[in-house]
Amino acid sequence: MSELKFVGKSFKRKDGPDKVTGRALYSEDVKLPGILIGRVLRSPHPHARIVSIDTSRAKALPGVKAVITVEDTKGIKHGFVETPRYPADQEVLARGKVVHVGEELAAVAAVDSFTAQQALELINVEYEILPGVFDPEKAMDPEAPKIHPSHPKIADKEPFSNIGGKTECGWGDVEKGFAESDYVREDRYESQLRTHGYLEPHVTLAHWESDKLNIWTSSMGTFVKRAKLAKTLDLPYSSVRIHKTYVGGTFGGKIDLYSHEYCAARLSILTGRPVRIVASREEIFSAYRHSQPLIVEVKTGVKNDGTIVAQQLRVINNAGAYRGSGVVVVFLAWGFTMAPYRCPNLKYEGYSVYTNYTVRAPQRGHGCPKVRFAIESQLDMIAEALGIDPITIRLRNARQPSEDLPNGDNVHNGNLPECIRVAAEKSDLLKKYGEARKSPQTGHIRRGIGIGVSAYFGGSLIYPNSSGVMVKMNDDGSAIVLTGAIDVGQGAETVICQIVAEELAIGMEDVKIISSDTDTTPQDIGAWVSGMTYITGNAARQAAGNARAKLIQVASEQMNAPVEDLWVEDKAVFNRQNPQQRMTYDQVFAASVATHRGDTIIGEGFWRTMRDVPTHPSLATTKGRWTENYAFSAQVAEVEVDIETGEAKLVKALTVHDCGFPVNPALVKGQVDGQVSMAMGHAFMEEVITRNGYTLNPNWLDYRMPTIHNMAASEDADVITEEYRVGEPYRTKEVGEGLVSGILAAMANAVYDATGVRLYTTPFSPERILSGLKKLEPSKTTGVRDQQSPEVL
Amino acid sequence: MSYLETISIEDTANVAKIEPKGRSRFITLSINGERHEITVKPRKMLIEVIRDTVGLTGTKGSCSSGTCGACTVLLSGRPVLSCITLAVECDGKEIRTVEDLAENGKLSALQEAFLDQGAVQCGFCTPGMLMSATALLERHSKPSLAQIKKGLEGNLCRCTGYNAIVDAVLQVSGQGVTPVMK
Ligand code: FES
Ligand code: FES
Repeated sequence: MSELKFVGKSFKRKDGPDKVTGRALYSEDVKLPGILIGRVLRSPHPHARIVSIDTSRAKALPGVKAVITVEDTKGIKHGFVETPRYPADQEVLARGKVVHVGEELAAVAAVDSFTAQQALELINVEYEILPGVFDPEKAMDPEAPKIHPSHPKIADKEPFSNIGGKTECGWGDVEKGFAESDYVREDRYESQLRTHGYLEPHVTLAHWESDKLNIWTSSMGTFVKRAKLAKTLDLPYSSVRIHKTYVGGTFGGKIDLYSHEYCAARLSILTGRPVRIVASREEIFSAYRHSQPLIVEVKTGVKNDGTIVAQQLRVINNAGAYRGSGVVVVFLAWGFTMAPYRCPNLKYEGYSVYTNYTVRAPQRGHGCPKVRFAIESQLDMIAEALGIDPITIRLRNARQPSEDLPNGDNVHNGNLPECIRVAAEKSDLLKKYGEARKSPQTGHIRRGIGIGVSAYFGGSLIYPNSSGVMVKMNDDGSAIVLTGAIDVGQGAETVICQIVAEELAIGMEDVKIISSDTDTTPQDIGAWVSGMTYITGNAARQAAGNARAKLIQVASEQMNAPVEDLWVEDKAVFNRQNPQQRMTYDQVFAASVATHRGDTIIGEGFWRTMRDVPTHPSLATTKGRWTENYAFSAQVAEVEVDIETGEAKLVKALTVHDCGFPVNPALVKGQVDGQVSMAMGHAFMEEVITRNGYTLNPNWLDYRMPTIHNMAASEDADVITEEYRVGEPYRTKEVGEGLVSGILAAMANAVYDATGVRLYTTPFSPERILSGLKKLEPSKTTGVRDQQSPEVL
Repeated sequence: MSYLETISIEDTANVAKIEPKGRSRFITLSINGERHEITVKPRKMLIEVIRDTVGLTGTKGSCSSGTCGACTVLLSGRPVLSCITLAVECDGKEIRTVEDLAENGKLSALQEAFLDQGAVQCGFCTPGMLMSATALLERHSKPSLAQIKKGLEGNLCRCTGYNAIVDAVLQVSGQGVTPVMK
């Protein structure tokens, strides 16, 4: 097939001109006449029984148009997960008790925000304070305050309290594996609470028009939002329309149904006027969903040559006050454990534990960085104990192309060993590693290097389980693509246009896109399971191919040439046997209308991963296939640590990844850079500090997110394992979230390389590094360093 | 301190909007070369006048507390945070927003450079970033890396890691960086 013109090239963003001129409309930019301002009343307590709510004074305030509590809802619950085992568990407004600070109790719509705020203050809520529990291990204690009953399937077997769900699986015989190992070690790692840090706050505008609810909301998947809003409002899907808006960053934090979205909708229905609710940054920090801090206990047994023989993991997720995506994280944590390295004997247990914290959401990587931090840190310790270098031990265990995974998936052409080799070579890791710790150093800056490896799935089956795309030819030969895909910054619209341009042999400027509007575009998985380029992209490829086939069919009739001889280039169908014989698309389109009883040309395409496998994996047992798209990566970090202040910084990052192939290399690089930066925040800077469920640093002055001063050099390299051929399905893989993981582990390993300080808890703050350095000091004088009992710093 | 109290104190945009007292003042602003005569409460923030009264929604609000730079506009040529700048302070002054950068529908070299380098992802920081960069380039036609960092230090970007943004400024100032996107 001829050379690719669009796929594999770094085209500029389709939405770029709108975004640099201020024309791009985000949800808060949409204005409607008669708009009311909504505000949400939130719980000031982490755990309390609601004795009574009196809204009468608020309702009587002039300018207040409606006040709602749970009594004004249908009482239909929703949840991030809604399965028979894990049914919807959360009301849209609190009923009976509140279980976290900031939980939504009531909402008002008023003529302006002053009146709305005043109305909130006139709502009288009487509480009976209940004891709270915030530490997940304390929450598991049978005597702990009960937030919700433990899941019935677990309560039957285990004495723990507050268990929202559990994932349990394994294979082989770990005990036997440990017995057969030459070296075994056991460590415990912990991670902090982090916010997503999307710049655009949560905003929802709702407008009820006789029989249609119109919604503009900052989201990552309009079809998911539609499903959850329709369900909780008890409306048919056809009565809810989520409009397209640009979205100012999500990173996982905008997929769940949020109470304010329901409230804006309900208040609009009750008042017959548009209602907008904007969350303040302080509300987002204090009451919205953040990441999921994990405790990861990992025990690994290896042979003397570093081959992993057995691994046992116990993961505890501080999952907040409702189920949220907590049970998904403890499932995924298993996946992130088993995907990169072979392990013949494994035992995995993951608990999702309720605490009186805000509900948790997915966050870029969805547990992966915490799992990889644990495993990759420990692997380096094992390597050092055995006298093996960090590259050799990883190559020894890395999965090879075409390997089957324990869940029945296959890694296909995925090539982790190649990623590791390229990373080692490009970074010169083996030459630099250990330098800082070898010879006596002068000055107070220590430089270190480290590597981390990761694997990430993409495009798994999750509602709506499929993406559809339509390609509508115009009479002038250009095309309009209708797709439900949502561009949250990753470049979805651009990539889809590139694929359509390639398949139809028309220019990028000939493709216009209408996206993420639930009324006018086909269903789409949305921007949240790392599969847009694969799933929506293949649907776009099919839709364009379908339109092309129709063009060729009509042209073949007109040109009196067999279909097999015809192909397309430059907006025209031509005869390969006689390239002079050609019809431009506008001519073909006119011919179709004239000779096919008025038929215009519209192509359609649909795609999902594992098209012939109807099962979803079980969150509880991990049984069932998951995806056919596993991305692999190896990342190297070079850090500098100031041993006087304890300040550490990422100086240089190298990301070698196998995403199949990049449809748009510069957009891929943008994802890499963003993830490196976010992981740097995870490693060194960010933490939502809480006490008893209250957020103590609800702003960007006290919550330090990377600024331009923290920028690190970031290089990437693709290991290309798949290819694109016009007219054929292709396999791309995840590249937008998993790369926060290996690099986090690499930074931990690099800090160790620089200083000899092994850290078990993120972030690697100056306090932790200094305290680690201090612990090393006596060992210098006595010459004794206890390798086997790492301090948890 | 109750949670509600903290919200009402912190949420400055809304506090500004709700200020019931204080006599309204009549001010004149030049926004992107157009004259606007506006009656405002003394507590009203510049961002509200720009977005709500004048209707230019290119300027973005993100934190309402002067910590992110998304709302950056130029006031008499200098970058200011419009979420913590009182509208009355700007009486008689010239304001430039992101809508002013393109001329007759043609993108400026800086805007083009942002697109050439992939310095825009979600785009929410972009208007503020562009205004800070515009002010920087007016001060230094060939800014050093240190000057770029200083000039953009108040603008948070969660998407790009800043690398592409620095490259865009280097490209537009002719410092040897060529476009990576076509
Ligand atoms: S919105 Fe003004 S600085 Fe953040
Ligand atoms: S492009 Fe999204 S915050 Fe900068």
